[in-house]
Amino acid sequence: MRIVLDRPRCEGHGLCEEAAPELMHLDDDGELVLDRAEVGEADAARAGAAVRVCPVAALRIA
Amino acid sequence: MSNPPVSDVDLFSDEVLLDPYPAYAGLREQGPVVRLPANDVHVLTRYDVIRDALADWESFSSASIAFNPTANEALTGTSLASDPPAHTLLRATLTENLSPRALRGLRGRIEEKADALVAELVGTGSFEAIDALARAFPLEVVADLIGFTGHARENMLRWGQAAMQVLGPMNRRTVESFSVAGELYGWCSEVRAEDLAEGSVGRGIFDAEARGAVPENTAGHIIHQYLGAGVDSTVAAIGNIVALFAAHPGQLALVRANPALVPAAFNEVLRFWPPVNAWGRRVTEEVEIGGVRIPEGAQVAVLLGAGNRDPRHYADPDVFLVERNPVDHLSFGYGPHGCAGQGLARLEAHAVIGALARRVGRLVVGPEVRVPANITRSIDKLPVLEVVPA
Repeated sequence: MRIVLDRPRCEGHGLCEEAAPELMHLDDDGELVLDRAEVGEADAARAGAAVRVCPVAALRIA
Repeated sequence: MSNPPVSDVDLFSDEVLLDPYPAYAGLREQGPVVRLPANDVHVLTRYDVIRDALADWESFSSASIAFNPTANEALTGTSLASDPPAHTLLRATLTENLSPRALRGLRGRIEEKADALVAELVGTGSFEAIDALARAFPLEVVADLIGFTGHARENMLRWGQAAMQVLGPMNRRTVESFSVAGELYGWCSEVRAEDLAEGSVGRGIFDAEARGAVPENTAGHIIHQYLGAGVDSTVAAIGNIVALFAAHPGQLALVRANPALVPAAFNEVLRFWPPVNAWGRRVTEEVEIGGVRIPEGAQVAVLLGAGNRDPRHYADPDVFLVERNPVDHLSFGYGPHGCAGQGLARLEAHAVIGALARRVGRLVVGPEVRVPANITRSIDKLPVLEVVPA
C-alpha cells in the first residue's frame, strides 16, 4: 500500500505526524514530508491512522 | 429506497439550543437521516454519515451553509460557501496567513499572554470566567493578529456573535442580528492597510494584495472571514474548557499530572461540547444513505454534536474523559471545508489549558448561565467563586 498526499490541500496541521512519526514529518518550513510512502503490513495501521486524522482529507491510501 | 423517518424536533427552539443532547439521542436512534418539518431540513445524526457527507462536496454543496437565503446570498463567492474548483483558490488565499506554518511565530506570545492572564485571575481568587478569560483572551489574540484597536476592538465581541447568529433560520434572533453583522461587514469593507498595526497578519494580507499575491479587493473579505468565524467560536471553546474542568476536577488532575494530555483534553472538550452543533449543506442531486433517500435540493443540517456523541463510534460518549483523545471529533468539520482557523484555535486553547493545569488545583464555580443562540452554543456567565491554587 502507498500513502498519497494531495499537496495543495495540505495545510500543515501536523496531526498525521503525531499519529505516524515514523512515516512522515513536517519540515522546518512546516511542509509535510512523506519519509516512507510505500508501507507494508507492519505499518498499515499507523498509516491508516495518519490518513484518518488529517482534518482536511489531504492524505489517502492507494 | 424509502423516505427518511420524520421527527417534530425543532433544532432552533430555545430548549434544544440550550441542551441539544437529549434531542440528538432521539434523532440518532430514529436513523442516520431524519426529516424535520419544523425546520424544513434533513438532519444527519450519526458519526459515519456525517464524516462521509463532509468529505463529499459533490453531493453536499456548501452553497447553503446557513439556514436562511439572505445569509447564503451574502456569503456567495466566499471560501466558506463555495465548492471546488472555485473553492480551492479561495481556501488557499484564506489559509495563507492562518495555517499552522504561518502561525508558528505567534505561539510564544500566545502562551505568555495566556499564562499572564490565568496567573492574574488565580491571584484574585474569584472572577467571572466568561468575560475575564473566555472573551478577553481570544479578543486580545485576534486584535493582535489582525492588528486593530479602538472602535473595532470595542465592538468585536457583538460583531462576532451576530456574524454567527445570522446563519440560523429567519427567526427573531437572526432578524435582530443582521444589522449588527452588517457593522462588521462594513468595517471590513472600509478598513485600509494603514489602519492595521505594522507587522500584524491583517497588515500582511493587505501587503499580499498590494503585490498581487491575492486578488484585488479581497483583503477586507479575508479579514471578514477571520473575524466572522473566529471570535464567537473560540470564546465558546475557552468558556467550555473552564466549565468542564470545574465540573470534572479529576480530569483536570490528569492533565496536571501529565501535561502531554493538553491536546487530548482540548479534543475531548470539543467533542463533548462543540461550539457549533449544526451546520448547513445542500444536496445537489438525490442521494441515498442507508437505504433512505434525500431529494435533490434538500437543505441538510449536519449535526456535528450528535455525531460526536454517537455510541457507534465513541464508547461511553456522554462521559467527559480527557484520556480518550478523540482526534477525529467532528467539531472542526472535516475535509475541504474543515475549519480554516483550527491551527489558531489549538494555539489559543492549548495555551489556556496549559496555564490552568500549571496554576489551578481546582475551581469552585457557581451555576453557569446560558442564552440560546442559533449557531454557537456557549456559556454566557460562569462565576468562579474560589480557586484552589496548584
